[in-house]
Parts: sequence; C-alpha cells; structure tokens
Amino acid sequence: MTLSAFRQDLRVLFLTFEITLKMIAVDSFVLFGILIQPLIIAVLAIWMLTPKDPTQAIFVVIGSGMTGLWSTLLFIGGNSITRERWTGTLESLVAQPTPLSYVIFGKNLASVLQSLLSMLASYALAALLFDLELRIVQPLPFAVSIVLTVFSFVCFGLILAPVFLLNPAVQQWQNAMEFPVYILAGFLFPIALLPGWTTPFSYLLAPYWAARALHATANGSATPQELALSWGMMALFGTLYLVFSRYLLRVILRKARADATLGLE
Amino acid sequence: MKAIEVEHLRRVFRTTIGVLRRTVKNVVAVDDISFDVAPGELFGLLGPNGAGKTTTVKMLTTLLIPTGGTARVLGEDVVQRADRLRGRIGFIFGGERGLYWRLNGYDNLRYFASLYHVEPETSKKRIPYLLELVGLTDRAKEKVDGYSRGMKQRLHIARTLLHDPEMLFLDEPTIGLDPVGARELRQVIRGLQAEKKTILLTTHYMFEADALCDRLGVINHGRIIALDTPAGLKRHVLDLSVVEIDVFGMPAEALGRVRALPFVDTVSVENVDQKQVLHVQTPQGSAAVPGLMETLSGLRLGKVVVREPTLEDAYVRLVGGEA
Repeated sequence: MTLSAFRQDLRVLFLTFEITLKMIAVDSFVLFGILIQPLIIAVLAIWMLTPKDPTQAIFVVIGSGMTGLWSTLLFIGGNSITRERWTGTLESLVAQPTPLSYVIFGKNLASVLQSLLSMLASYALAALLFDLELRIVQPLPFAVSIVLTVFSFVCFGLILAPVFLLNPAVQQWQNAMEFPVYILAGFLFPIALLPGWTTPFSYLLAPYWAARALHATANGSATPQELALSWGMMALFGTLYLVFSRYLLRVILRKARADATLGLE
Repeated sequence: MKAIEVEHLRRVFRTTIGVLRRTVKNVVAVDDISFDVAPGELFGLLGPNGAGKTTTVKMLTTLLIPTGGTARVLGEDVVQRADRLRGRIGFIFGGERGLYWRLNGYDNLRYFASLYHVEPETSKKRIPYLLELVGLTDRAKEKVDGYSRGMKQRLHIARTLLHDPEMLFLDEPTIGLDPVGARELRQVIRGLQAEKKTILLTTHYMFEADALCDRLGVINHGRIIALDTPAGLKRHVLDLSVVEIDVFGMPAEALGRVRALPFVDTVSVENVDQKQVLHVQTPQGSAAVPGLMETLSGLRLGKVVVREPTLEDAYVRLVGGEA
C-alpha cells in the first residue's frame, strides 16, 4: 500500500467516525445503552455496595460505565456490518476501494468513545445524587488505561461484526453475551469472588484487563508491574484482534460475494 | 480493448426448501451468456423481471462471484482484480436503499467521496456541481429520510459520479420514478453519454432503451436471446402487425384460445385501469381482426387498433409474451 492510499484510508476512518457520531447521537436505542442502562446498574450497585464501604463508590462508577462500554460494543459495534446490510449500504461499502476494516474501525471508535459518556453519567449520578466522594488516585495512568481500553474494545468489535454477519445463529446469542462479560471481566465485583475455573476465561477477555487497569488506577493500587501486565495484555489482545480481523473480513466478504448475501434482495 | 468482455458467464443460486427434510434446489439465474461492450458505448440489457439482468450487473460490479465463465471490465477480471477495478466504476441499483437516511444529502456525498479516495479539495468543488446536475442543491442540507423516491434516486446518480468513473452500471435507474423525474434522469444519462462514458443500462422500459441505447442485449431465463441495435431488433417484427384490443375482464381460457389461433404469432396482456389491453402480433394485419373478434365473442370489448410494430413488440416476440 502506498503512503498516499494509507492517508486516504485514514481519512475514511475519521470521516466514518464523524458520520457515525452524527447518526448515533439521535438513536434512542444507543442512548438507552449508553445512559439509561448503566445508570440503572449504577444505582443498584451503589445501594448494594456503598453502605458497607463508601470507598467502593469509584469502583461502582467505573464498573457501571464499563457495562455501557461493553453493551454498546456488543450491540452497536457487533451489528455494524449487519446494519449496513439491512439499510442496503453494504454493497456500496464493499464495491469501493477503501478496505472495509477502516470503515468498521471508524464506526466502532465512534460507538466506544460515545459510550464513555456512560462512565461520566455514572460519575455525575454518584457525585450529585448520592453525594459520594469520587477521586481518581492515579489520573495519568488512568488516562492511559482509558486509551488502551478504547483501542482493545474497538479491535474486539472488528471480530464481532464479521462473526455476527457470517453466522446469524451466533447473533441470536447476542443478549446472552452481555451479562457474562460483565461478570467475567470483573466490571462490578472482583473476579476473585468467582469459582476458580472461570479465571482462565476472564484472562482471555480484553475487557477484563481493561477493568483491572481502570479499577486499580482509580483506587491507587496499581503498581508498575500491575500496569505493565494490564496495559501489555490490552495492547496484545487489541493487536491480535486487529490482525485476525483483516483475515476474517477478507474470508467473510468473499463468502458473502459467493453466497449472494451482501444485499437482502 | 473492450470496456466489457463477458464469456460464458454463469451464476447458479443454491436454495433449500423445507425444514425437517431439506432439499437443495439450484436456480440458474445467468446461463452461459457472452457479450462485449465497446468504450464509450451505451449498452442496454433488456429483460422481464427475474431474467438475470441484476445478477449480471452484480457480477460485473464485483459484488457477486460468478459460478462459471469469465468477465473483464476495463481490462480487469471481476473476481481476481476486483480491488483494482472498484475505484474505476460506478453503479446504481434501482430503488431507495443504499443511502444513509439519517444524514443529509451533502454528508452522504461527502462520505462516499472519501470512500472513493476523492481528495477533499476536489470534493468541495465536485459535490456542489453534482448536486446542481441532479437538481438537489436546495435540498442538500436536509436529511435523506425526508426525500422523495425520485430525489433519492437522483442522489444515487450524484453518488456514483463522485469519483468520475470511467464506466457506469445503471440497473433500472428510472424504476418507480414519476414521468418527469424519469425524463430528467434520462437527460442526465444522455449528458453522460455525450461525455463518452461507457454505460451499461438495464431496463424493461422499451422507449427508454430505444431512446438511449446504442446496442441492446435481450435476456430471458438467464440467456441472451438477441443482441443487436434497436433498429436491428425492430427488424425481427417487420413482417408483423399489432392488433390492440381493449377487453374489460379477460378470462385465462379466452387468452388461451387467442394464443392458439393459427394466424397469431405472440400475445401479451397489459392491465390499464379497469381494462386489459390485448397486444396480438400477427402477419395478417387488419385481416386478423374478424377472427379475433369471433374468438373473443361474449366478452365486453372496447376499441380495436391495428398498428405498425415497435421495439417493444420486437421484445415481446423475443421473450414470448412474458413482458
């Protein structure tokens, strides 16, 4: 690929990001996933956890925000190709010179960044409604963790979207995939509370390493070794997803062209 | 070099029937077709619904992989060199879908321009020009959701011209448009023709094909059954006349009786409001009228006209009255 073509593909990525933001800003389903559902989870978690230990408030805020992040990725990012197919734009996207992975990356980036609002909403709820003291103890490492979280989530979406397009049977399990990740990734309580045999599954999830880094940097328990491990795992998983998604997309688009499933007619 | 070279192209769709005992059924949509199109030519593919026109266009625009045969567009194989070809062609499929309805017309064009690697400086000039060309300048900042079908179709035209493609595929571009919208769109197509763009147009409107196309391929049941200029196709029916009879309520068995008459070549029926217009192609001209009247006796009939055949009649004869 020439430098000029790469620059043009990057321009597509950022324009996709802008266009997607415009479209999802008025989507009530997205707003529910980003704002309402995480707020409900935050209220329940605050009632359950903070009377025993008010210092858990920041854990709750971050955890409920991450539920919004995961739900948005699962439903909006996961459906990013399928939705194009429903609206009849998938054929136009496939029959143009920009690789589809740039388009999906831009769409997922918009969804994931917008879903960070759920963390802000949970923060505002805990601070204003419950009058809880909220403090990020290690702000700079926290910011780096957020950036890596966004990267690993966006790349995870690059895998979900083609898998859902290829196999509608998997998509039927979309709802069932929401809560297990909340639990296995330790969004709302530490995975140490789960049976030991579930731990390897948690380790295989980039959201687990994201939650671990964000919780630790928020409460100030993140050691340099801890940060190196969590950040390294997020970068590793993100890169693996990115590389694998290129192969997956190529295979799936060829299959869709062979099976005549790019359009709905 | 030809703009399009199609050799023995074939596409079979595999479908399954039943839930418990599933049987696989193969449907041949395009069956061993061959044709070519010269640079700058406006080539039409004519055929009834389900004849294989859209399937052919989808294979030529890299959206569908052929089951057999080869196709090259602008010298590039549509399967092996799809990536190189995509930036050089543009396409429109009839209908309203394929646009982002929650965005305005301008943003739709801006986005598709970037997908086709049009430099921002170029798009800033080209988008207003194309909006003007398709008559959407005043509505460009409105959401596509509120556009009429014709406006969406015109936006599709603008979209496909953003990267100034060398070759255009227009699949029934005027379908569903009102007469004024369809006429405006045909004017745009004539303009593109004047710019020496190579165009492949599919349609089942004969007058459109007659007015626009340099050459026509008639496709039916996935096979090309005639390939000629509009004038050449009309010669297929020079020996015939057409008797048109208005019938108010046409039973199937009466139609069968007409088709069975020895002096009748082809029959087609067109529904117009409350009546059916019977188009009977016959070598006997007005001499066939008494025999037809006798066969249709007992039915409520309207006016009867005998006229010279048109391209549409040639088409009807070729597809055996299925149009």
